[in-house]
Amino acid sequence: MTRGMKFLIALVLLLGAIMLYLLSSASADTPLFSSDLPLLLGLGVGLVLVLMLVVGYQLLLLRRRLKARVFGSKLTLRLVLLFALVAVLPGALVYGVSVQFLSRSIESWFDVRVDKALEGGLSLGRVTLDNMLRELRAKAESMTLELTERSPQRRVAVLNSLRERAAVHEVTLLGPNGSVIAFSGADPTRLVPELPSPSVVRQVRMQQPYTAIEAVGEGGLQLRVLVPVNDVSGATSLLQLVQPAPPQLARDAQTVQEIYRDYQELSLSRQGLKRLFALTLTLSLLLALLSALLLAILFSGRLSAPLGILAAGTRAVAQGDFSPRHTVKTHDELGLLTESFNTMTMQLADARADAQRNQEQLAAAKAYLESVLGNLSTGVMSFDAEFRLRSANPSAVEILGVDVGALIGTPPQEWAEREPRLAAVGHIVHEAFRQARTDIWEQQAELMGAAGRQDLLLRGSRLAAGVESGMVLVFDDITRLLQAQRLAAWAEVAQRLAHEIKNPLTPIQLSAERLQRRLAEKLGEQEAEILQRSTQTIVNQVAALKGMVDAFSQYARSPEADLQPLDLNQLVRDVVALYESSRPALQLDLTANLPHIAGDAAKLRQVIHNLLQNAEQAVADVAVPRILLRTDVARDGVRLIIQDNGPGFPEALLGRVFEPYVTTKTKGTGLGLAIVKKIVEEHSGSIAVTNLPSTGASVAVTLPMAPIETASLRAHRLAVR
Amino acid sequence: MLRRLFALFALWCGASLASTEGIHVKSAELSLNGGEYYLETNFEVGLTPTLEDALNKGLPLHFVVEFELIYPRWYTAYLWNKSVAGLQQQYRLSYNALTRQYRLSFGALHQNFDTLNDALALLGRLRRRFVADVDVLDEGKIYEAAIRMRLDVSQLPKPFQIYALASRDWNLSSEWFRWTLMR
Repeated sequence: MTRGMKFLIALVLLLGAIMLYLLSSASADTPLFSSDLPLLLGLGVGLVLVLMLVVGYQLLLLRRRLKARVFGSKLTLRLVLLFALVAVLPGALVYGVSVQFLSRSIESWFDVRVDKALEGGLSLGRVTLDNMLRELRAKAESMTLELTERSPQRRVAVLNSLRERAAVHEVTLLGPNGSVIAFSGADPTRLVPELPSPSVVRQVRMQQPYTAIEAVGEGGLQLRVLVPVNDVSGATSLLQLVQPAPPQLARDAQTVQEIYRDYQELSLSRQGLKRLFALTLTLSLLLALLSALLLAILFSGRLSAPLGILAAGTRAVAQGDFSPRHTVKTHDELGLLTESFNTMTMQLADARADAQRNQEQLAAAKAYLESVLGNLSTGVMSFDAEFRLRSANPSAVEILGVDVGALIGTPPQEWAEREPRLAAVGHIVHEAFRQARTDIWEQQAELMGAAGRQDLLLRGSRLAAGVESGMVLVFDDITRLLQAQRLAAWAEVAQRLAHEIKNPLTPIQLSAERLQRRLAEKLGEQEAEILQRSTQTIVNQVAALKGMVDAFSQYARSPEADLQPLDLNQLVRDVVALYESSRPALQLDLTANLPHIAGDAAKLRQVIHNLLQNAEQAVADVAVPRILLRTDVARDGVRLIIQDNGPGFPEALLGRVFEPYVTTKTKGTGLGLAIVKKIVEEHSGSIAVTNLPSTGASVAVTLPMAPIETASLRAHRLAVR
Repeated sequence: MLRRLFALFALWCGASLASTEGIHVKSAELSLNGGEYYLETNFEVGLTPTLEDALNKGLPLHFVVEFELIYPRWYTAYLWNKSVAGLQQQYRLSYNALTRQYRLSFGALHQNFDTLNDALALLGRLRRRFVADVDVLDEGKIYEAAIRMRLDVSQLPKPFQIYALASRDWNLSSEWFRWTLMR
């Protein structure tokens, strides 16, 4: 409700109260506002109309709110109805009783007996006065008789005595024209008689005597009689007798007359009085009712306003808005309610903020954990209570070389169906978790990866039964570790062997040569021939053995690689120049502008040598031998690929070709690829051996680029990407 | 000295419905005498039966004669006219049940009548009432005079005012009688 409306209502109510007061005081017979009664009534009706308009407007507003289903409007309606009932019932009751009572009491003022008594009193007074008047007239008649007997001159003389004899207060003799001829009065202070009006004079002259009772002064009455005095001459004089009524009688008669008049007036006005009272009462009732209705609307609006605020608040809370609501500044329960609602929303807001903070912390912790797991070189996999894969970190993907995402939700024993390569690993994991006595187990597994055989160290543990139950599998790719261990062991063995074998070789050779030298002349030609051959065989074999031992020791303790920026293409060309005469022509496919690599030229030359020799030997029995040398830029360095169309590596050996003494050839130390791999690893590069799809093998060596980069180099790398 | 005076219309109002009820202006005139304007009017006053009954039961009736002399202002669309002179005369007519006489009071003066017609005849007669000096009126201008007589309802006791609100019987008034005047 607007401020203007409130002001209007207050004004109307104030005006109504004033008007009612005035009306009620106007009903009593006071002179106050006596002339403004219609105005007052008009004002009252106007006020009622204004109030009706205001109430109607408010009800219309309420109806609209009800239709719009504004929260709290139903309560407002009920309150309004309740207030109206509370106001109407007593109001109507009081109104009915008042109207009934008023009309009854007004009627009770009037009584036929009182009416009769008053009329009787009045006529009593009249009769008495009439009698007195008749008496006075009789006196006048007798006086006239006496006067007519006398001459006009004598009349004046006898008038006083006549008056005194008749005991009349005042006697006047008037001429035909109404002028005073003679005057006699009991009152010595009165010098001039009271003259009749011309019409009276005219009437009396027409021989019609005049009698009248007249009111004089304050409540006094006097009797006046005029009779004609006919002269012999024919002229008519007038005799006027004036006699005051006895004061007591006059007073009483006047009193009766006044009361009679008042009573008659009241009797005449009773209908009007009733109407006036009824009107006043009706106006009061309407004003009271409408005010009550208006106040009801006003108060119920105020009562239901907090509910609306609360409703808006709940809606806001439902939408996640926890901002404090406008509170109702009252000290009752509603004020308390809105305040506690605000407190609640505040607590909710705090709780939500806490939850959010916790969630953020959790997310941060999770992100941290994920980044730790992601940066871990160890593969980590977690399983749920039903032993299905839940998650795996990037390292796991890298180590296993399969799309682990596709495996999520499947138990390890079923991995084989999706990724055949993981069959062994899945089986081992499954069995190990099933059989593990303790919570933690450790086992090794082999995996055939793209880059050859991998050795995995698997470590499994069950999560402590708590919030999350399940299992965690941690595994490392220990291929390199194992290889390194193996290589170290071999180097040790080779060194010792070389040492142990080389020492007796020289005495053997020397002994054989001495046998040859000393015994050759002493033996016959045939025996000498045998000796010659045998010693030669011994020397040759010792030399071969020596060479082998040298190769061994070379493998075991090769010098540190001296890494320098190097053009791989140039190196390849240098080496290939030595093979120009070889049987299969070498095909070269060198990518121009290769970035320099960090490498030891001598050692890399040996790598190329070894690989070319292997290739040559592989294609020895092929009808159309072909060997291809290619260089290009790979993701993590410069790559050298050597392909042949030989039979390729046997599948069983493919994982172990780099181990010493693993060979497919009848002759050879089995150290060729091992040395190659050793050198490549010294260069921090990588080597991969694969069989070609058709036939043949491919060996790819990837070497890291030189750390110093020129602008052109960087441009090249960018272009490659 | 005598300026020339003028005028008046004295119309017979009348004819009307020839009923004796109500108040009608029979004649009205302003006469110039010795440099002063005097008003003379005749009303025909007839009471309604209701009023007569009330009077005979002792209810005093108040009458008022209202006269105004104005200069009409055309430039205010005759809404705010200049009031040159005005007159308001009050009468009180009552009946004494004891003496059976009607009394007509006029200020402190009063006169008794045996019959109502006599009283009403005198009530209707307005003689030589001074209105204004001749100087008040400008020469050559046309003035407008208006007169009426009515029952003063506001002097009635309040319950009777309620009657007056609802009933014509309690409302007695002549029409405004207007005439123009030029000095």
